[in-house]
Amino acid sequence: MARAESLRIVHLDAFTAIYHRASGITHLLASPAPEILATLGEAGLSRADLAAKLAAQYDMADFDAAALAERLDELVVSGLVATA
Amino acid sequence: MSDETPEPAEKAPSEETLGTGATRRRALMLGAAGAAAVVSIRPALAQTNASLLTCEIPVPDPGRAGKYVAADGSVVAPGTSGAFAPAGRPFKGFEVKQALGGGQLPGTTYEQNQAYVNYIRKLQHGTSGFTCFASLQMPRG
Repeated sequence: MARAESLRIVHLDAFTAIYHRASGITHLLASPAPEILATLGEAGLSRADLAAKLAAQYDMADFDAAALAERLDELVVSGLVATA
Repeated sequence: MSDETPEPAEKAPSEETLGTGATRRRALMLGAAGAAAVVSIRPALAQTNASLLTCEIPVPDPGRAGKYVAADGSVVAPGTSGAFAPAGRPFKGFEVKQALGGGQLPGTTYEQNQAYVNYIRKLQHGTSGFTCFASLQMPRG
């Protein structure tokens, strides 16, 4: 994910607003995007490690690798997450 | 933020950052395909870096062409003592950005540069060059 100091993160009930200082863009995230971002951390994880870590932290009733990939792709498109 | 906390009951430091911390396992739904979880809002004044380089700020604006620019940046009648003649050409966005950062506009003397920069700082919404000037203020990089 983008460097933590370049982000301003505000929680708005069901949403998390993330302001990226460098681009001036505000991202509105709904679950599970904030949880994925937090789990990825700044160092980042492989898809398999991310899935494992999420499964360890959360009760994932509808786990599906394709759905996780799609959520990750959204974060990549937003610029908040970069692919290695 | 790369810790590998194995215990789901523990609060991971990464969760504190985003405030999604939980002291026990919470349900997390990945959602169906096509249900977007991220919406990005771009500032209306944001321009690409390319247009930042090429956008222009005329000094003064065409509506007051031919008038002079006083040291404080106000637009005054042509020939006013102590004021400066209009700039020979509009300044490019990157030239103004450099001048705002302590540099000097091309082809200007020190005092002339100060007057022009003061004029640019006073640009109002609706004045030619304002959008270019405003976009220089946008955080980026």
